Amino acid sequence: MKSSITKGWRPLLVLILLLVIWEGAARLFDIPAWLLPLPTQIAAEAFTGYSLYTPHIMSTITLSATGYLVGITVGIVVAILLFRIPFLQQAFYPLLILSQNIPVIVLAPLLVIWFGFGMLPKVIVIVLVCFFPVTIAALDGFRQTDRDMLYYLKMIGASNRQIFWKLQWPHSLPSLFSGLKIAATYSVMGAVISEWLGANKGIGVYMTLASSSFKTDRVFVAILLIMILSLTYFGIILAVEKIALRWRSQGGKVSDGSTHS
Amino acid sequence: MGQLILENLSKSYGQNHVLQDITLSVKEGEFVSIVGPSGSGKSTIFQLIGGLYTPDSGTISLDGSVLNNSRGHISYMPQSPALFPWRSVLQNVELSAEIAGTKQDRTKTLELIKSAGLTGYEDAYPNELSGGMKQRVSFIRSLNAPQSIICLDEPFSALDEFTRLEMQQWLLSIWETYKKSILFITHDIDEALFLSDRIIVLSDKPAIVKKEITVPFDRPRSEELLMSDPFLILKRKIYNLLRG
Ligand SMILES: Nc1ncnc2c1ncn2[C@@H]1O[C@H](COP(=O)(O)OP(=O)(O)OP(=O)(O)O)[C@@H](O)[C@H]1O
Ligand SMILES: [Mg+2]
Repeated sequence: MKSSITKGWRPLLVLILLLVIWEGAARLFDIPAWLLPLPTQIAAEAFTGYSLYTPHIMSTITLSATGYLVGITVGIVVAILLFRIPFLQQAFYPLLILSQNIPVIVLAPLLVIWFGFGMLPKVIVIVLVCFFPVTIAALDGFRQTDRDMLYYLKMIGASNRQIFWKLQWPHSLPSLFSGLKIAATYSVMGAVISEWLGANKGIGVYMTLASSSFKTDRVFVAILLIMILSLTYFGIILAVEKIALRWRSQGGKVSDGSTHS
Repeated sequence: MGQLILENLSKSYGQNHVLQDITLSVKEGEFVSIVGPSGSGKSTIFQLIGGLYTPDSGTISLDGSVLNNSRGHISYMPQSPALFPWRSVLQNVELSAEIAGTKQDRTKTLELIKSAGLTGYEDAYPNELSGGMKQRVSFIRSLNAPQSIICLDEPFSALDEFTRLEMQQWLLSIWETYKKSILFITHDIDEALFLSDRIIVLSDKPAIVKKEITVPFDRPRSEELLMSDPFLILKRKIYNLLRG
């Protein structure tokens, strides 16, 4: 934890520098606020107008969290099924890849036609963007098991089920977690996209309202909210990963060669 | 319990004729080594005993029942420790019994860990251990299984000379307390002589049993044995057998 604080100042410095340049350049060239608001204006809007967006945040959190949880469950179950049943893998793996070539943005209106404007089509959109990285990451993890450990288990007579739960599953966790982290950020994006399609609440709605009335500073506030939400999800998964993969950090506390303190 | 008999085992992989009429036995509580040139088919014998492959002909039997192509009758220790990195030392040792489906005996497991000199490391993960410590965990994992025979495939060949000698002495002392039957593959003649009751010398591929040598040295054996004349005479004999 200490190291993340001592190292954190570098990206923070770059960020502040970028904001300063943005502020300076926009003032210098006198860019109108509806085109590009100043960082200070955005910050002011975020503070003064918070009653405008707070009702929307909860709705987006509920939506994205629901979609995420369903999505990763589907992703993991699909990965296990494809891996354990070779026939399914042959039959469905190409379809799975193909399904990812359809942009969600064109699929979403169809889902609205089929399922209306309720929660369901929105959750489906999030599930569709979330499950794929999870499935691929889990499958990769299952496949890349250590040969020596596999051979050992076979020699002592482990069943396929035991091999899966005692070797392939735990071995896939590091890979699975990178899929879960990608899916976490996708879920917020999926939620906002699905809110654009028709909803009465959510950051996506707040954003649409803001942009249609040229309140560009609010659009930026929405972007800021999306970033904060994504980062929070990412951080939660990171924390869970730290606990689940304790064995990786144990004893592995090797110096990274850095001489800074 | 723990009497293993291989009779007239033959095995080819396609055109590659690996084993030819291998007959050997391990008696209850006996320590038998197999030595042979690299690629002669030593590990293949273990794969047949483990049930990973079916022999083309011949039978494998343990305590009277035939176990061709059936798994789960032996305990095994591979060349690389193959410890599971996400399991602590204790959990790794428990793995073999877990797979066999027997009830865990925590006191026995802790005792095994103690005999490996790893008390205090029960909750450590494998990446915190040295190479020799890992091999000791790997060996007590194979001892912790309920099976009465352990097959070891060149377990110490990746260790440096000093660690290896230490491990051999440790292995003997612990084997003398637990008295399981052991079938041990090695390409190190010293190691085979120092550890075993009998040595099976295999020929080049296709492997036949060239000679079976009974090792006459008393137990417990000590390091000085390695330099004694009878030891060196036997060593020369096996060396010449392997040379052809
Ligand atoms: N699964 C397999 N499929 C095809 N050929 C195999 C297989 N396993 C082993 N062989 C072949 O069988 C022969 C004997 O291999 P094996 O691993 O049993 O030798 P070994 O005596 O254990 O050698 P080493 O001392 O190097 O470990 C080799 O020629 C090898 O190529
Ligand atoms: Mg071998």
